[in-house]
Amino acid sequence: MNIPLHPNKPLQETADCLLEIGCLLMASGASTNRIRITMERIADGLGYETETLTTQRTIFVLVKDLKTQEVYNSFKKTPPHGANFTLVSGISKMSWQVIEEKWELNQIKEELNRLTKLNRYPLLITMIFVSFADAGFCRLFGGEYIDLCTTFVATFIAFLVRHYALSIKFNPYLSIVFASFTACLITSFARFFGIGNHPDLAFATAVLFLIPGVPLINSFSDILDGHIMNGMVRGTNAMVIAFCISLGMLVTMLIFNF
Amino acid sequence: MDILHFIEMAFWLAIAAIGFAILFNVPKRTLIIIALLAAVGGSSKLLLMHYGVHIIIGSLIGATLIGILSIPAAHGKHAPPLVFSIPAVIPMIPGAFAYKTMLGFIELTSEISTETYDLVLNQTINNATIAVFVIISLTAGVSFPMLITRKTSAKKIKIIS
Repeated sequence: MNIPLHPNKPLQETADCLLEIGCLLMASGASTNRIRITMERIADGLGYETETLTTQRTIFVLVKDLKTQEVYNSFKKTPPHGANFTLVSGISKMSWQVIEEKWELNQIKEELNRLTKLNRYPLLITMIFVSFADAGFCRLFGGEYIDLCTTFVATFIAFLVRHYALSIKFNPYLSIVFASFTACLITSFARFFGIGNHPDLAFATAVLFLIPGVPLINSFSDILDGHIMNGMVRGTNAMVIAFCISLGMLVTMLIFNF
Repeated sequence: MDILHFIEMAFWLAIAAIGFAILFNVPKRTLIIIALLAAVGGSSKLLLMHYGVHIIIGSLIGATLIGILSIPAAHGKHAPPLVFSIPAVIPMIPGAFAYKTMLGFIELTSEISTETYDLVLNQTINNATIAVFVIISLTAGVSFPMLITRKTSAKKIKIIS
């Protein structure tokens, strides 16, 4: 059998584009089934057949040109993970446009370029709303309004700590330990000086913004879809994050000797 | 039954969901729907628990409600259902049970008498089991519409045919 050393250009470009889409989806928190279906749908719209192998850190794709029966395959490593549902939503919408409006490869590339350049919410807005979310958790567990204030302040500062730690390229898990430790330290002061009626609730809820919600839910939905390996990888990741949160709490507890 | 209390809880559920939605960077057009879904799903869980339903069943029903309602939301706002359902179920994540489990494990590492050890071990395992089962029921509830209609994409689910 003759394998051409330089497969045709469109085939190669399609494979690279598909890999880019798959990696972006994996990093943004889509489930494995969604990644596979989206990549297959886009390849189908462009007239190619594809098989994929998706893992947490690398994506492998095999593209087959249906007309010439040529085959091309390639790997790509995923960027650092961080939930970004605007990207997931944009790519999903695009995958349908590829089929329904018969998009070309160039249009897909332009749309991808536009989607990746979209801004996230401003840092201050995110911090305020996340702090309100933790205050909401405190209220749901039965805290009173003064405890809500403690939770708000603790979350606000802890979020800043994690953001700064990530921006100076600390290990993501270590950043979570720092954030959890900061949040617990601040709420422990409230507990130490007797501010509020349920300072222990503030202590428990100020770290909840760190909970690995997306990996946890994706882990179980991957397992339900039969992607057991990916489900276990994501589950382990979620467990390690939970462990990091409790490590921060444990250190504070040892300092204050509760 | 205190209606005002339930309305306040629904409000805080919505706030918590919006906080996580912004953390996950959802499109702006979906924020209000996420808040409504979280309020409806979370309140139905709290209401069921008020009438003595177990937390696991309550979470399953609340999450199923969110999962079902996220399909018309996805059609209306042109975004995949997970964009709505994941931030909306996060306020139902059993933070209190996970926290108690962790405290229990920390206590198990210290030097305590055998009787206290047994008691703490019992409570810790109980809390851990509830936390895990609540999370499983949340996921199962969210993926309920996809499982029951046997479709691979929410776009193919016809709401009223």
